[in-house]
Amino acid sequence: MEAAKFLSDAALRPWLDELATKHALVVPRREGDAIVFAPYDPAKPLDLSRDATIPPKNPVFPACEELMRYSYAKNPENPAQAGLTLEPLVPMGSTVVFGGRPCGARGFTIFDRVYLTQRIRDPYYGARRESTAYVTLACSDTGNTCFCHWVGSSPSDTTGSDVLLTPVAGGYVAEAVTEKGSDLLKSTHMADAGGREKEALAAKSKALEALEAAPDLGPAPKSLLAVFDDQDFWVDMSAKCISCGACTYLCPTCYCFNITDEVRGLDGSRLRTWDNCMSHQYTMEASGHNPRPTKAHRLKNRVGHKFSYYPDIHGGVIACCGCGRCIKSCPVGVDIREIVLASIERATAKPQE
Amino acid sequence: MQPLDVIKEKIREALPGLDCVIGWQRGFDPLHATPLFMRKPEDVDRLIWGPLNIYNTATYLSGFRGKKVGVVVKGCDSRSVVQLIQEKLVKREDVVIFGLPCAGVVDLTKVGRNVTDLGRVSAVDHSGETLKLTTPEGEKSLAWDDVWADKCLSCQYHNAIISDHFAGEPIAPVLGGRDPAAEEIAALEAMAPADLLAYWAEAMKRCIRCYACRNSCPMCVCRDFCIAQTRDPHWQSQEDSVKEKLMFQMIHATHLAGRCTECGECQRACPVDIPILALRRKANQVIKELFDYQAGVDPQAVPPLFTFKVEEDNINERGW
Amino acid sequence: MTCSPNPYLPEMATILETVQETHNIKTFRVRLDNPDKMAAFSFQPGQVGQLSVFGVGESTFVINSPPTRMDYLQFSVMRAGEVTASLHALDSGDKIGVRAPLGNHFPYESMKGKDIVFVGGGIGMAPLRTLLLFMLDNRADYGAINLLYGARSPDDMAFKSELPEWLSRKDLDTVLTIDREAPGWEHKVGLIPNVLREMAPKAQNCVAITCGPPIMIKFTLQALKELGFEDEQIVTTLEKRMKCGVGICGRCNIGTKYVCVDGPVFTNAQLKTLPNEL
Repeated sequence: MEAAKFLSDAALRPWLDELATKHALVVPRREGDAIVFAPYDPAKPLDLSRDATIPPKNPVFPACEELMRYSYAKNPENPAQAGLTLEPLVPMGSTVVFGGRPCGARGFTIFDRVYLTQRIRDPYYGARRESTAYVTLACSDTGNTCFCHWVGSSPSDTTGSDVLLTPVAGGYVAEAVTEKGSDLLKSTHMADAGGREKEALAAKSKALEALEAAPDLGPAPKSLLAVFDDQDFWVDMSAKCISCGACTYLCPTCYCFNITDEVRGLDGSRLRTWDNCMSHQYTMEASGHNPRPTKAHRLKNRVGHKFSYYPDIHGGVIACCGCGRCIKSCPVGVDIREIVLASIERATAKPQE
Repeated sequence: MQPLDVIKEKIREALPGLDCVIGWQRGFDPLHATPLFMRKPEDVDRLIWGPLNIYNTATYLSGFRGKKVGVVVKGCDSRSVVQLIQEKLVKREDVVIFGLPCAGVVDLTKVGRNVTDLGRVSAVDHSGETLKLTTPEGEKSLAWDDVWADKCLSCQYHNAIISDHFAGEPIAPVLGGRDPAAEEIAALEAMAPADLLAYWAEAMKRCIRCYACRNSCPMCVCRDFCIAQTRDPHWQSQEDSVKEKLMFQMIHATHLAGRCTECGECQRACPVDIPILALRRKANQVIKELFDYQAGVDPQAVPPLFTFKVEEDNINERGW
Repeated sequence: MTCSPNPYLPEMATILETVQETHNIKTFRVRLDNPDKMAAFSFQPGQVGQLSVFGVGESTFVINSPPTRMDYLQFSVMRAGEVTASLHALDSGDKIGVRAPLGNHFPYESMKGKDIVFVGGGIGMAPLRTLLLFMLDNRADYGAINLLYGARSPDDMAFKSELPEWLSRKDLDTVLTIDREAPGWEHKVGLIPNVLREMAPKAQNCVAITCGPPIMIKFTLQALKELGFEDEQIVTTLEKRMKCGVGICGRCNIGTKYVCVDGPVFTNAQLKTLPNEL
């Protein structure tokens, strides 16, 4: 793409102020002890000290979104009958999400293969996806639960981002990844990179080298299928899981949702909300039959989907970005890395049938 | 033999008759432990005991109905076991309780306020006068009083209230010390109603309705059939609004009034650190005033919901 | 945005008439309100639709009228939960939403020239009805057609008004069975797999299509295997909790397959390649 630019530390806020005049700008901010993505407020400080607790998922895939509104109107000639009108609500507007890490933006490429396909196009997701840009900060170092390089990503992965800002002395080297990103960098606050590209490259290499060697997850899809019926294994793996939704809702690549109708008298909405496959009701059928009655079944599906089924359907791409939120925010420390590696080990140790 | 080794021996002896014994082991990094389910003698080697054993092992008990399990408990965990038994959610004869004296556990949220990133702590030394952490910004030395969980600062139950096996010198409760939990409630009650609502609205804004608070609670046995997610009856909508999120907290606190043993798991489990424990503690305070009952401290006591009196001692219904 | 289709937006439809089949099964015959859309509506036997009761929710049902009879779209609903209970409260003139057709269809092309055995239990007869009527409307394409339809009791038999016609047709061999003796019942008494064994259909050049409660399917499969049917010769249609119905929400998967897109129709051979989480 085009030449890199330089954004000095001093120019960061002015640039954000400028972006905020043209787009809905979302930035990381500390609320309580958590770092969340919130609408930009010039009066409030940013918190870029570490990857946010919550991923930057909401702008493109909100926790709750109104798909349509309906309205019953009683027929005055026959009050027992009601006419019905229906109004879809497809979102509009343009958003810039600043300050996520590469893992957070990469998540949407996992969504895209499901939501925007040859066969079907989700207009709500599509509208938000097209109108949202990600300005991502490359990671200078990594944490105990980072494993982006296990799943084909890296601390400076540009997949899914529109702009990558790599921290260097005095500011950031800014690289446009897409045309949308290019437009965002057309600002007087952006200076010429002035040879700092080398520094950025060195920073990226340093972060990658700091990571321990990644194990080969190639055998994962077959291994997970091989241990599917190994109930003892999954009871063991899921013993400490408490079946909440923390891992799912904090995951940049989790895309499952629920559709429910909420009523206000004669009117109401059909809502799409985040759902999670760890919950008991997720696959509960009206007959009372539940294909995944225990947490062992459900955890098996979560890990299976991310490291086996999705890769099988989508050319080997793992539906995980290695951000580690599911590990550090899991109330009991379930570690998906452990489970995937254990499945590979278990499958290899099993006698071949 | 060290008390932990004594307990390990007892666990190994008991294992053949049990589905598993629940304890703690080292977790994904030096700062984190994680629940341990011991099934084989080798598993017992991994059992740890110390200030990182933050999880309430009793949370898992109601999932083992019909099976015999063992559980290693801190004093606060044992309160949950007692309450579960009192409510007949767990049978006493189905649980083998192993206890050790607990000097307290750390609150990782408090630790997190003293480091840039909890996830970059590469080494921990909790054996000394301070909690020592190795971070990319250098060595950090934290005063224990700054990192103990609030419940520990005013703990009256350092030792398992009931147990089948206990090893180590019981620790006596410290009386008249700080009670940060009570201070928090007092501060909240001193707020004007509008400010109080603003406080909770601000706090609940970041809630993601993951129900970690509910699922980590040992007393929430109906978590799979929760009123927050049913449509029949349909009390809660799935809207991502402060109103719905705060409503859930109200429901939870009310359902736990007099049942909550203040283990603090709800607040600890919250991935976005919302300080929700105060709501449950307040509900407990009310139950204590009305019925002179505290959950899980006296195995012989009968929970108020299990009793009926025509004339309640502390409820002035007839205007006497 | 408005010109590309919105797969979540239902078409408005009006209920023309209803039939109370049994105490808990009710049939709805609907027409899409938009006459152009109704005229252009096309589907294949086995495909399903999501019916909306606004304010309550959506649920998936097979379109159980065949594409050869397009006066209306028929759905037979067993009352089981919130949405089905709300549907049951509706009558002709009421409005619902329809999102259809969804899913795959019965591979009837590959069944041409073969003998057909339908084995239906209870509400499982609904998807079979679609294919049965479709085949009867294209009778020359198929060999001998046998139907075994079982229910708990005579009252639990759906499509009662049609059974006399099916029984009397010369180009269709119908056997009805109920679980236990009942006064006035003139047909077979016995569990479906056992009656199937009695009927002893020849597996040679034959396809068996079965649908019903899981336990019935399990034992029917056993009986079919005993009779010599290979996995490719057995076809069934599955149920799952569904929401989007278009393969996005992630819920209805069995391993890598989504029942709303890759199904709900599967051969037994296909099911055998999938993980065991039916």
